[in-house]
Amino acid sequence: MQCKIPAIGIASSNIVHYATDYDFKYNNGMPIRYVSVPFPFTGQPRAVDVGYVSGKDMLTGQPLMSALVSALTSPLTADEKISGAPPEEAVEPRLLPPDFEENLRQLFDEKEWTDFNSIILPTERRVTAMLKGTSHKPDEVVKTINITGGARQLTVEKVAINAVMAGASPEHLPVILALSTQAPFGNSTSSMANMVVISGPIRNRLKFNCGTNAMGPYNRSNAVVGRAFTLMSKTAGDLRNNVNAWETLGSNLQYNNMCYGENEEALPAGWDPLHVEMGFKPTDSVVSVGTGWSSIASVGASQVIYPTHFLMRDYMGSFCASGSAATIVIDPTVAELLKNVHGFKTKAQLSEWFSQNVTKTAASYWGNGVIQSIAVPFALQGLEPYASWRKLPDDALIKPFTNPKAIHVVVAGGEVQTMWFVTDFGIRRGVLIDDWA
Amino acid sequence: MKSRLFAGLLFVVLLPVTLCSTPSPNSPQQAASKKAGQDTSAKQAEPFPQVPRITAEEVERLLKEKGSVVLVDTDDPVSFEAEHIKGAVNIAYDPTVEAREQDPLLSALPGDKLIVFYCNCSHEEDSAPMVLEMWELGYSRDKVKALKGGLTRWEQLSYPLAGTDVQAAQEKGN
Repeated sequence: MQCKIPAIGIASSNIVHYATDYDFKYNNGMPIRYVSVPFPFTGQPRAVDVGYVSGKDMLTGQPLMSALVSALTSPLTADEKISGAPPEEAVEPRLLPPDFEENLRQLFDEKEWTDFNSIILPTERRVTAMLKGTSHKPDEVVKTINITGGARQLTVEKVAINAVMAGASPEHLPVILALSTQAPFGNSTSSMANMVVISGPIRNRLKFNCGTNAMGPYNRSNAVVGRAFTLMSKTAGDLRNNVNAWETLGSNLQYNNMCYGENEEALPAGWDPLHVEMGFKPTDSVVSVGTGWSSIASVGASQVIYPTHFLMRDYMGSFCASGSAATIVIDPTVAELLKNVHGFKTKAQLSEWFSQNVTKTAASYWGNGVIQSIAVPFALQGLEPYASWRKLPDDALIKPFTNPKAIHVVVAGGEVQTMWFVTDFGIRRGVLIDDWA
Repeated sequence: MKSRLFAGLLFVVLLPVTLCSTPSPNSPQQAASKKAGQDTSAKQAEPFPQVPRITAEEVERLLKEKGSVVLVDTDDPVSFEAEHIKGAVNIAYDPTVEAREQDPLLSALPGDKLIVFYCNCSHEEDSAPMVLEMWELGYSRDKVKALKGGLTRWEQLSYPLAGTDVQAAQEKGN
């Protein structure tokens, strides 16, 4: 939309670095002028932010206000008059020139096409063999990924390349293809992580680990499928460190994305598997992806004096509750306790209980940066409950998990300990693996 | 000395994908519609036919039942600021970015109310994809709809509007 009003971006230096280095180089068609302040300005005393305004522009060294006026009023340079769509990138050849293995490994690392663990190099022969794991044609587009700079087509062959690199076998390919529809994974300056949950008969067919050490490095299917999601996200999603992946701490969970299977055989009677709760048939094989930031583990055995779900509730109160998202992963022993001792006949009942009983103070809720960026605009536009919550005193208690359907319960583990994780992961609707066989 | 693996040189399938200047027709939303057995390109008149529509008349009636419906304007923030349905909130639709980038905003919408997306377009081209994304987030299919005819239809019926342009017009009229 053209408003014909001079506009510039005012951002902290880290964002300007990103924008000038990558974003507007490829995406915006017409370069944007920026004025930059130091980082961070959030969480600073007001006097510091005032100092930024009376200080200097980080880009030009001019007084900030002078730089701002100058950026708004000086005529466009020839380079700045560029408009329209960015030029198309050169079409890259399908095959790399032949080279020695060590050189190719170095190239893959330099390009950041790996997770910096050793990969299986995707030779044409290996990729061809991998493609036997699906009936889909190699050039079929699985998904078009809108990245900064254009649209990238993720084809079946490209997914197969990543599957080879991850160490997968052809029988894993349908799972990885289904998973590829969810690529790339979440990427934010706040360090995000993901969860990959396998449901249905494929768990047993491919021997996914749903029991003891379900989340540990003890199973090939869990390992290669979880890793393939990372490799697909990095390659097809063009995620490169300090280029367009700006997660300040990053997340170790991104190496494997917490890939595990639900222990459906150990579910208490009346508790449906995750994919069945989503509307799939029990006989469907489904992969579901969750995205969030945090995971808190129980420590030690469940105690009578303080029921397990009370402790889960307390821990959940520390989450930001963005989108009411939470996923609780519990050992079958805990599921049995929750059902038989505490009366939660279904997972949905437990989710509803959390929605009604997790509380946090208004100050703690609004003190979270994600909530600030999402819920404050809604509050200012009058959307409830955010508008009312904004008016509450700091110490007022609110129930931030307003949508119980966004609180998922998954049962996994080997019944070795009454163990559980509460996470702030929001799980999207699963993807049918059988469609990709 | 360079070591060689088996026959020496490896022919490696090149990994990067080609960058295009425009989004491909195979967007996630269109893929979803194809999955549902609908090809959007074949039926230009009503893209995303699997997305349920709701009429402006019905929405206007529901709005009178305070709090029973949430309206979401999918236009860009500048246009929203200028004119929108009174009481609507803004979540802009941008076909050039991953739909999931809007998930944090979309998932903040209430799960227990009817959510109606609308756009300033003729056939819900920008609002219907948002409905599909809400389904992916687990919202009930019967609780998320697209406003048939969008803002244009709402204006035709002279239903309440808000925004700076609307305010300016009202002041001018006074």
